[in-house]
Amino acid sequence: MAKRTTILKVSGLRRAFGPNTIFEKFSLEVRTGEAIALTGRNGAGKSTLLRCLVGADRPDDGRVQVCGNAMSEASPEIRRDVATVIDDLDFFPDLSVVEHLDLLARAHGIADPDDVVDEVLEEVQLVPQSGQLPGTLSSGQRRRLALATAFVRPRKLLILDEPEQRLDSEGLTWLTQRLKSERQKGLAIVFASHEPELVETVATRVIQLGAPRE
Amino acid sequence: MSRLEAGADDFAYHQTPEPQALIPASPRELKRLIKDWRAGRATRNVLQAMSDAYVAVFAAVMVGAMVVNVILNAQRTIAQCTSESCLSARTILPWAAFAATVAMALAASRLFGPVLASAAEGFWLLDAPISRAQLLRSRLVGGVVAAFLGGALVGGLVSALTGSGTTEVMVWAAATAFSAAASVAFAAAQQGVDRHVLTRAATYVFGLLGVGALFSVVGVAAGWFSLGLSDNLGIEIGVIMIAASALVLAASAVLAALRLGQIRRARLLSGGALVSGISGAFFALDIGLARDIVVERRAIERGHVHPKRGKGLGIEAIIWREWQRLWRFPQPLLVLAGTIVVPYACDALGMSTLTPVVAALALFGALIPLLGGLRVLTRTGGLARCLPFSLARIKLASIAVPAILAGIWAVATTPAYLGFGDGAVQRTVPDASFIAIATAAAGLLAAVRWTQAKGVDFGAPMVASQAGAFPPGLVTNLFRGFDVCLITTAPLLLGFSPFWSMLIAAIAAMILLNSMDAETLRARQAEQQKQLAAERKQRAEAAAAAKQRKR
Repeated sequence: MAKRTTILKVSGLRRAFGPNTIFEKFSLEVRTGEAIALTGRNGAGKSTLLRCLVGADRPDDGRVQVCGNAMSEASPEIRRDVATVIDDLDFFPDLSVVEHLDLLARAHGIADPDDVVDEVLEEVQLVPQSGQLPGTLSSGQRRRLALATAFVRPRKLLILDEPEQRLDSEGLTWLTQRLKSERQKGLAIVFASHEPELVETVATRVIQLGAPRE
Repeated sequence: MSRLEAGADDFAYHQTPEPQALIPASPRELKRLIKDWRAGRATRNVLQAMSDAYVAVFAAVMVGAMVVNVILNAQRTIAQCTSESCLSARTILPWAAFAATVAMALAASRLFGPVLASAAEGFWLLDAPISRAQLLRSRLVGGVVAAFLGGALVGGLVSALTGSGTTEVMVWAAATAFSAAASVAFAAAQQGVDRHVLTRAATYVFGLLGVGALFSVVGVAAGWFSLGLSDNLGIEIGVIMIAASALVLAASAVLAALRLGQIRRARLLSGGALVSGISGAFFALDIGLARDIVVERRAIERGHVHPKRGKGLGIEAIIWREWQRLWRFPQPLLVLAGTIVVPYACDALGMSTLTPVVAALALFGALIPLLGGLRVLTRTGGLARCLPFSLARIKLASIAVPAILAGIWAVATTPAYLGFGDGAVQRTVPDASFIAIATAAAGLLAAVRWTQAKGVDFGAPMVASQAGAFPPGLVTNLFRGFDVCLITTAPLLLGFSPFWSMLIAAIAAMILLNSMDAETLRARQAEQQKQLAAERKQRAEAAAAAKQRKR
């Protein structure tokens, strides 16, 4: 059995907004083939924690390391290794769905990206919309496109914030199976979710954030 | 007695009278009602509001006086010129302004409607059983009047700036005003039958006429041809334009009024939503956001494209995609090509000293639409985070195509700095080339600065002022881009060597294109401070432990 290497190491993370401490002394280690689910009520700090993990927000204290390198959003190595789907994903208004995916795949050095792009498009059921511009997509379709951006490129760590949002039941089933398969292939995953079925099927560990609602 | 045995009287009921047919309120009554509600909620009248904003009013008066002074000075200077190039420019430039104003009025009309309704009006009023035509009539009139006033301002201003006499200024102001109003009325008439082809075609025709007029100024200045225009020709053509525009205005206004009731609700509301989004962005003085809204709207109108396969790998893929995006929406190239005329026209007008500043400002405006990729990649971190490159490299890739175009622009405008018009400053080819390069760099970097400007942070500590608290970046955001243009071209304006301008441009480029690296430096600095604090803590703990052991 292959030795599991540490992909993400978080130690002593703290984030507070004024007097309101969101999380403190948060530590976590994620190795290849592990999927960590962050659960908890709204406002428990799941999204803030994920934003700190991907470098979109700066923690007040603590360290985040990806593959042994200190987390820096500007680092090309980190950008190469970490695929993220959080709320701040933007799209070119004049590039179609398939062109976005083609651009990402090529930028990551995939020489002949057609097969990968077609396969992912098929999976996220956006083949009929492949020529559409992002502004014309429904919110669910935009979510599928955002998820597709994480799967057309090489990755070692996948960070997702409530990936089930705006997906229909069929989409949720696909996502669950896809994440499970990604984990089994050795990908490290950290995701926040409110969907019990997704958490149960994909996660190898569940971390409850914040005090449960009384 | 059981219920079944009850007589008919027991079940008698009072028949309610037939309801009278309801008479819906008239659109005028509804509008008056809404106006009353709004006025009823106001806590201050106009005078009180103006007294609160007296700083802004005072500043507007001061700036207005300065602008009028500048116009009068420019008019006096240009009115004295006697060369053929200057005289022809003086005659033709109002035509160019006329054509450009008509093109802009048509383009704006097509973008916004021109007749539009807000979402609230769409929900509460357009669904009511009232005459839609009556409801929208004031919108049509408002649009036509606004275009008339705007046209008069532009036509009069350009005519005055080119040193024309009072009669000529008035004639061109009236001609441009009538034609702009006619354009809006024409677009409204087309909107009534849900057709935009004629409006679009007319936009291009007038746009090309404007550029053609500018080219003829250059041609005369270069001595390629002579127009031999008489002094009164401007007035004669202006009067003809007034008559023709008034006829088009009358016919289009009647047609538009007749078709007002046929305009689709969706079309009315989309214009309203666009105005609402843009006005929101303008209230926050976020012009970049206003442009994003327009760009998004155009893309939604197009909706679907024929996908093209990308080229290259790694960073090259981004450059190729920028190229493909440009060819998908190539209209900005026409504007860029049009700005090549600007330095030539400036020189022809005898404004050699001001040429680099005006040309850089024109290029700045023309390059903004070409930097859409940079805008998307820098406005949020999401998309850039998906790409395996530093932000500095991503920015360089995004501006590669516009930079090449700016380089071509510099080559094309070099002859303008050789001393083009009569009485212009004569320069050597290397000097002219360096000035053209410095001007192009100023325009490009200004556009880069404008494009990657972040919106104002309303969460930051506010600055107190007489007009109330405002976030620090609110006012400076307005000058983004213009500052780079002016600072970079300042040495040229003051007669220094173009190398100074190029040096300033190089420094500006380092700052603008490496801003993420500055971010990285800050992150590293914070990381080092954390390590330092941790080490100090460890040392203090060790010292305390040593003391404890000694005791």
